[in-house]
Amino acid sequence: MKHKTSIILSLFALVTTLPAQQKAVSPNTQTWTDAQGRKLEATFRGIENGQVFLQVRNGYVYRLPLDKLSPMDQQAVKTLKPEGLGIPADPNLAQAAARIDLLVDSGLSKGGQKPNPLASDEQFVRRVYLDIAGRIPTREEALEFIADTSVSKRAKVIDKLLNSDGYSSHLFNYLADMLRVADVAQKARFYTYQDWLKSQIADNVPWNQTVFAMMTADGKLLDNGATGYLLRDAGMRLDNLSLTLSTFLGADVSCAQCHDHPFADWTQRQFYEMAAFFGATETYNNKGGIAADMRRTLASLDDKLSRQQTKNIVRVNAMAVEDSTENDLKLPDDYKYNDGKPGDPVKPKLVTWADDKTKKAYQNVQTKNEEDFRTQFAKWMTSPDNPRFAMTIANRMWKRIFGVGIKEPVTDLDDPEACVNPALLHHLAAEMVRLRFDLKQFTRLLCNTQAYQREATSHEMADGVPYLFPGPVLRRMSAEQAWDSCATLVVGADVDKFHAHRGAKYAEVMKVNFGEGMTPESLKADIEEAAGALSQLGKAGKIAKKSKNKKVQPAGDGGDSVEITPPERNGLVLARASELPQPERDQHFLRMFGQSDRQIADSSSDEGSIPQVLMLMNGAAQKVIGQDDSLVIQTATSLKSPEQQIESLYLSFFSRKPKPEELADAVGALGKDLTMRDLSWVLFNTREFVFVE
Amino acid sequence: MKLQNQLDPLSRRSFCEKWAKASLGVTVLHGLGDRTLAADGPGFGKAKNVIFLQMLGGMSHIDTLDPKEGVTQGPVKPVSAKAGLQLGGTMQNLAKQADKISIIRSMTSKTGVHASGSYLIRTGYEQRGTIKHPNIGAWAQNFLGASHKTLPSSVCVNGQPNAGNGFFPASYSPLPILDPDAGLQYSRSDAGAGVMQKRLAMLDMLDAGFRERFQTVGVKSYTEFYDKTVAIMSSTDLEAFRLDDEPEPLREKYGRNKFGQGCLLARRLVEKGIRYIEVAKGGWDMHNDIEEGLEEHGAELDVALSALLEDLSQRGLLVSTLVVLCSEFGRGPKINGNAGRDHHPRVFSTLLAGGGVKAGYVHGSSDQEGNSVADKQVSPQDFLSTIGWSLGLPVDEVVMSPSNRPFTVGDKGKPVMEVFA
Repeated sequence: MKHKTSIILSLFALVTTLPAQQKAVSPNTQTWTDAQGRKLEATFRGIENGQVFLQVRNGYVYRLPLDKLSPMDQQAVKTLKPEGLGIPADPNLAQAAARIDLLVDSGLSKGGQKPNPLASDEQFVRRVYLDIAGRIPTREEALEFIADTSVSKRAKVIDKLLNSDGYSSHLFNYLADMLRVADVAQKARFYTYQDWLKSQIADNVPWNQTVFAMMTADGKLLDNGATGYLLRDAGMRLDNLSLTLSTFLGADVSCAQCHDHPFADWTQRQFYEMAAFFGATETYNNKGGIAADMRRTLASLDDKLSRQQTKNIVRVNAMAVEDSTENDLKLPDDYKYNDGKPGDPVKPKLVTWADDKTKKAYQNVQTKNEEDFRTQFAKWMTSPDNPRFAMTIANRMWKRIFGVGIKEPVTDLDDPEACVNPALLHHLAAEMVRLRFDLKQFTRLLCNTQAYQREATSHEMADGVPYLFPGPVLRRMSAEQAWDSCATLVVGADVDKFHAHRGAKYAEVMKVNFGEGMTPESLKADIEEAAGALSQLGKAGKIAKKSKNKKVQPAGDGGDSVEITPPERNGLVLARASELPQPERDQHFLRMFGQSDRQIADSSSDEGSIPQVLMLMNGAAQKVIGQDDSLVIQTATSLKSPEQQIESLYLSFFSRKPKPEELADAVGALGKDLTMRDLSWVLFNTREFVFVE
Repeated sequence: MKLQNQLDPLSRRSFCEKWAKASLGVTVLHGLGDRTLAADGPGFGKAKNVIFLQMLGGMSHIDTLDPKEGVTQGPVKPVSAKAGLQLGGTMQNLAKQADKISIIRSMTSKTGVHASGSYLIRTGYEQRGTIKHPNIGAWAQNFLGASHKTLPSSVCVNGQPNAGNGFFPASYSPLPILDPDAGLQYSRSDAGAGVMQKRLAMLDMLDAGFRERFQTVGVKSYTEFYDKTVAIMSSTDLEAFRLDDEPEPLREKYGRNKFGQGCLLARRLVEKGIRYIEVAKGGWDMHNDIEEGLEEHGAELDVALSALLEDLSQRGLLVSTLVVLCSEFGRGPKINGNAGRDHHPRVFSTLLAGGGVKAGYVHGSSDQEGNSVADKQVSPQDFLSTIGWSLGLPVDEVVMSPSNRPFTVGDKGKPVMEVFA
């Protein structure tokens, strides 16, 4: 690895040594005195229920009853405007958020840039719903927030959303893109993997534990969904490892799969040494046993349909991760370096980063027993002491919330110093560890920063000027955010209620025991029973729309798809994207709006295109949103005056009231040139709708 | 039938000016589409259209275009093809069209990773976090202007545009058709023309404030897409996307799968004057059981490609249409423990046909095992420069990106002159 100087950051030192002039001293920062004459230099952040919020230099927020202040300061509180917005009731959270803000502000001032103004409540509520819950707020949800007069309302809505079903749905979408979660992979159905991942998110299992479970999972896919990560790339362990390292450790080793890395110091040998940790792990069942049983059973069946079904049943039952006692990893046939010959066996060895001074993660890693290789690797990788694991997920979470990573691309953290704000990146990594890899707490922290609560940046940075986070960037909604927002317009917040849960049903029907003591006859009977149960499941689940041309829809073969039944309008199934097929079919709104095809990691797209715009203008979504049975239309038409009706539409689509001139234009047209349906079409097709301020 | 550039010079000029103005600071160094290009050598500018067939996952060169015998051979025996060529055993139909093709058997690439390999063979540049590089269609639009009044000049079938416009304006981005059977959906509004007009006027009014406030590349490209889409909705050439108009036997002949129908759609678009069409096909990552993989995907390619070459040839379009087949890398000579082959960028093959290219020609070779280049090494950059040359693009000319960095078609590769007749 390259030798790089590392910045050893002491938070305390940073906070206390920052020159005072770096942060503009506001008029409401002053020395406060309580009734007993004790003094505190702090900034006034607001008053609520008789409690005064005072934030000291290091970010900590004190809450004092108003009557405990000196009479003069009690008077001052009544006239001062609170500094900033969104003070959390939890003083530790406020302090942690303030530390991040200090680092952001310091980065900005070093770069000669200014922070954006704070976002309005209307901008904030739409953004925070989309960023945490993955959809726009309903009109009522937006109004509830805007009408709330409490000082800590931003912190409160953040907490509310983090505990909503939408949080899990939205995080699943992100991870599904990152991990290439697909209904069908290796010609088998991966429903159990999806359900497992969803339950990890819903239970808020710490990230290090989730990843550890994926790396070390054993057994059949149908029994243990966590095996899905390794089985997604069954028989392709080098590809799988390459993705593991770049996804979870930001180690850009993909080049080293074939040759020494041209820029970084990764060698091909190092890559193979890492791969050797999976050298005794079997994911592609080619060593007789189940495969032989499979063939015998297949030969005894002659009906064509049942043979296809049998193939599917046997295949999914054969998907399993097992450890053997033999590490069979060898150097490739075209190995061309001096430190080994093609075909040489490779022993497992961990890579190190030069900037890692402690090497704690490397202690107690033993590589004697082949069966333990994976566990040893997983322990090292997910350790809080691993120099990249926490940093990688912290940088990814930051990108989710701010729209761009501190280090880009997020899959390459080989040199953390080569980013726009190394001190911030190191601090976030430390915070991820402090919060014990709790992604919900980490998101909570980021959303409570002033940096997040500022306006989105409205201009392009000049060429070569780094983005130092004066606020979040303006982003186009992800495909899933846009789809879930459409569904919200039509059915409201109820859209969050439906959960697919296909894994358990599917596993129950498909599971056939291929273990010892089974004869071909008994296997045959079991498979036929499974096939029968599967077709029952297919019927009960209705939909099962098949393309006229089977090969066009690879997911439809053999009739083993398990379908779902949420509300449906004009052929659109109005469930959250996370509960629909993964990924959706090519012509679905989601795919046309850029949902990943789940073949390449992190490949969702925010590009526009002509077919996409045609769909927005003329497709099914605009129609369903503008119909009389759509919630957004019903709500608006239930109101009396045209002014109220337009205001209602604006609140539903943009979470804000129309400006006077907008109101005048729209009211002027309503009922003359344009209907309510036309106006919903107009608002749906604005840039303002698909972009997140 | 007027096959080629369906724009008269005047409207092409105003069109280019419009987009140049809308562009994000791309330096238009050339005569706005009226550029007269000197024919500089064999094959230059012979292709008016390009059909770019991209195999995703790493197409095994050994089982398709560069067959081997002995241990390397794989599941099927090589087949003897027309013009004295040998092809992989899965290419039974292509063998009958081999007198129309050139094969480059000495391709080599430095990356064995799917995403970066696909990016490289499509753009000639290595993938970077800081800039997107254009595909050949966008380069052609930059130098030659738009190829059609209302329809886009580039289309990509069975795949997302993946920033194919690179650093050129978003309007140079290929129009994606994710499902050729469905074609271009939603091209008509269910509201009447009058209502649509009023809606669009109101849309312009109510969104003006937002567009004013947020003048970012993302917002501007969406506005460009809306402008172009509105123009397309009134185009009289939309039937270009309707495969239903093709006779049933011909549809069968191309193969009733996304790739086969995509190739048929590509031919239809060429007829309508769309310059550059990409058709993608996945399924080539055959680490496990390559025999089963080839039975499905090899056969689909064989049927579709041979039908396309025959069809273009019969219609007299092959002279002016360059058909290209490529993949991000090949697959290794050794059959692995799972009866598959692993990634192999060291040597692989590509195919060129029509557009001034020699017929029944093989350029370069791999060694006996199909392991390394034996003769006349060709890089992805050379390969793309060859396509650019065939289209008549000035491959040496430097174009500055909005970030003011210099780029050329195919990143300074050398066109493979020997493939041109």
